[in-house]
Amino acid sequence: MDGTIHINQAINAETKQKAATIDHAIQPYVYASVFSSLCIIVGLIWDISWHTSIGRDGLLAPPHDVIYLGAIFSGLFSSYQILRTTFFGSVAEKQASVKFWGIFYGPLGAMFCVWGAIAMLTSAPFDDWWHNTYGLDVVILSPPHTLLALGMMMIQFGAMIAVLSSSHAAKSCSGTMHKALFIIASGLLMTTLYCLFSEYLNKARSHSAVCYIVGAILFPLFLIAVSRASKIKWAATGTAAVYMFVLLMMLWVLPIFHATPRLGPVLNHFDHYQPFHFPLLLVIPALAIDIVFFSLENKKPFVKVTLAALLFLWLFFIVQWSFGGFLQTSPYARNWFFGSSAWYFGANPDWPYRYAFHPQRIDTGFDLVKGMMIAAVFAIIAGSLGNKWGGWMKRVQR
Amino acid sequence: MRVIKFCLFACLLFISASLYAHVGSPGVIYQGKAGPYTIMVNVTPPDVIPGTANTSIYIDNQQVYHVYLQPVYWYAGDKGSPKADEALPVKGTPGQYQGLVWLMQSGVASMRVTVDGPLGKGSAIIPVMAVSTAQRTMPASLDWSLAALGLLLVVLMITIIGASVSDGVATPGNTTKASAIKKYIAMAVAALILFAILYGGSAWWNSWSSNYRRFMYKPPLAHTSILNDGKQLVLQLHIDTAWLRKNNWPVSYIVPDHGKLMHLFLVREKTDDVFAHLHPERTDSAGYQVALPELPAGRYLVFADIVRWNGFMETISDTVTIPNKAGAQVPPIVGGALNSDPDDTYVISNSINDLKNPLTGRVSLICGKPGTEMKLEDGSTAFWQHTANTSFEAGKIYPLTFAIRAPSGKPAKLQPYMGMMGHAVILKYDGSVYVHLHPVGTYSMASQEIIQNRIKGSGKIPPLPEPSAFRDSIDHLITRIKAMSENERNAYLNAGMKGMAMPGMDGMVTFPYAFPSPGNYRIWIQTKRDGKILNSAFDAVVE
Repeated sequence: MDGTIHINQAINAETKQKAATIDHAIQPYVYASVFSSLCIIVGLIWDISWHTSIGRDGLLAPPHDVIYLGAIFSGLFSSYQILRTTFFGSVAEKQASVKFWGIFYGPLGAMFCVWGAIAMLTSAPFDDWWHNTYGLDVVILSPPHTLLALGMMMIQFGAMIAVLSSSHAAKSCSGTMHKALFIIASGLLMTTLYCLFSEYLNKARSHSAVCYIVGAILFPLFLIAVSRASKIKWAATGTAAVYMFVLLMMLWVLPIFHATPRLGPVLNHFDHYQPFHFPLLLVIPALAIDIVFFSLENKKPFVKVTLAALLFLWLFFIVQWSFGGFLQTSPYARNWFFGSSAWYFGANPDWPYRYAFHPQRIDTGFDLVKGMMIAAVFAIIAGSLGNKWGGWMKRVQR
Repeated sequence: MRVIKFCLFACLLFISASLYAHVGSPGVIYQGKAGPYTIMVNVTPPDVIPGTANTSIYIDNQQVYHVYLQPVYWYAGDKGSPKADEALPVKGTPGQYQGLVWLMQSGVASMRVTVDGPLGKGSAIIPVMAVSTAQRTMPASLDWSLAALGLLLVVLMITIIGASVSDGVATPGNTTKASAIKKYIAMAVAALILFAILYGGSAWWNSWSSNYRRFMYKPPLAHTSILNDGKQLVLQLHIDTAWLRKNNWPVSYIVPDHGKLMHLFLVREKTDDVFAHLHPERTDSAGYQVALPELPAGRYLVFADIVRWNGFMETISDTVTIPNKAGAQVPPIVGGALNSDPDDTYVISNSINDLKNPLTGRVSLICGKPGTEMKLEDGSTAFWQHTANTSFEAGKIYPLTFAIRAPSGKPAKLQPYMGMMGHAVILKYDGSVYVHLHPVGTYSMASQEIIQNRIKGSGKIPPLPEPSAFRDSIDHLITRIKAMSENERNAYLNAGMKGMAMPGMDGMVTFPYAFPSPGNYRIWIQTKRDGKILNSAFDAVVE
């Protein structure tokens, strides 16, 4: 025995040959899941802006519709892929899929997407009941919202896995489209991660250690995983660029549209959408990850990860400390380009720390050094985990 | 599934009565003017904040173009109001409009109803107390659906994780023994992690629920006792200061409504035959006392209505046992004998349990019914203008109209009683519903005045005055009002209420009200004629 189990004795060499030469065109569910990922993040940022500007929403408010469109689109295409492979797929197609529950065959990415879609749709009635029981939307993190966020991220992660498995299956044609789709899918998921943790990463926090601790956990974990998973030279930088592009587009497009607060009390009056944040300048520290990974290709993984994570953190700190300070305090940032004057309708516009750092959100001296030391440790741990995660993604075949 | 059930059982979900600003009767009804238009408004406030208030507007035979609704918060003033929403006409009911208003913050809010028509625009401000009072259970169908979906998600996630380390990373057509073992280990680990996540989620849900309950509205607690001042019994009510501190409730900030700091109602428990409307005076920041009239002994329900300085109106509920004056061992009060307030009054009617022998004991009147006339103590009569032998529909707004006639049979010339042409108290037999209302509706006039003044003021949040200075200024105002002649007092109160004490030459008084739930109710109507307070009582059946 060579350790190999022949799961279907009927499969002969000829069948295996067919399995290797099945149609490697990108399946519709792959495009659908990337498109769903885009719908989800656009809907999410629009929803945040809606709550900042208009306030009043319902289950079928336009941003929610866009988010749910993502869930439905991804769920339908991925389910179709699974059902088609199960009931109408060739033996080769089934061999290239994951078999589960004794009946079904489907790609791993599609399974993630179906899970995400079910979770998101489950969250809708749960959230509706929650609003009736504990009050209408006033917080981001509640149990039904968490289920929704998990579903959203699972669809976005499913999109990445779908692209990767498609790319790995098409060994001979892992071309530009696969690379582009993977970078886009990764960037979209990273944007969602940023949105969920933006409370700690926004400009008002850029002079406190917590911003860099949270950033040191999230970004090395994700960007190193992306870098390791793909064969793309500038994967981390590309992912960061997609993240920045999405946030910038939403920052510049949303304020074009009319919006007035529809809930009271209204302490800040305006007539157009208040946009979400200017993105973190992540392309610069992300460059460090790519450069370390391809210039030290033959070094031990731990060396590469440690160097990449620490370099990332150092550059992230240098860039974001100064740029965050500019966004928070400079009058030159209070315009459509940087969007620093965006302000929640229910917040007092004359709050003294609207354009200044709150004393409790500034770390200096030993506190800052201690915080950055903690961030460095987290960056190395997160980077190592990201490296493992990326290694697994690299091996995904189906 | 277990987790969902566990969460639900742990939530201690219950529906509580809406206990603010009356008891068990959360709806707010407004009857009056919006500029040149006569309107009646029925606001059903949300029982969970943030939530939406369902609002119906009835226009009295006048053509209008549009009706708008807008919340106005005391906290933010007029400038902090969002854009108004249009209330839409109700099909098949001419003159009725309906709309939703979102109330996002607990506390004192109000509804501005603006009517636009051929006579121009007019608006009215209706105070609404926005507080969370209910905690709901999850419907069984939703409970089981979510449990099933949750189970599906858990099983599918375990499957995905298992596949991720086995088939998912194997080349097409092959899998290895090692990967199969990995698969089962990963699935077991995933199951453990998911269970931990679900357990954490359940704890989070429980903590959320407990936090919600902590911030639900709870009316102030008070201790009521009976003492004597040497010549009469005295009722003392002391608001629980420990409760006040716990709920961050500054007790000094109480303002007068109809010229009185507190309107205290006593109703003898289980018989509803004895009714008193008293006005205790403040003895210290949390203490109130009033001389008791000659009430029969027994256990009484106590309802004390107060208004805070920001217009928040609430009812303190308690019970007290009044002893027989003769031979009762009642501790004396500190200080001298008390004088009764001239606006204090009481009446003894037939018991709700003894309809066959209604004149048992000290009964001075027999309760009337819809469409029947009843004799009052001074020989005048009160007639409830409603079809005889009919019941009322719960939730439906009714104009409860009473005709008071002098002993001569002519319509009584009614005088203002504490600035209003009538006061009414409605109590469900079981005590679960209590409301004190006026011809203008069920809201507090003081609350309305406070919000109107806030709207006129700046958009800035008003600073909290120094407690003792505020209390002194209010006590001084009360003393000044008490020292006024009746005419001066009526003129003063009428000025504050913008002409709400309309002339009562026709002897009619109408109270708009919607009974909140089916059951038997007793209604006490208080009017004034020839300088005397006239009490009448009626019974109603609501289905």
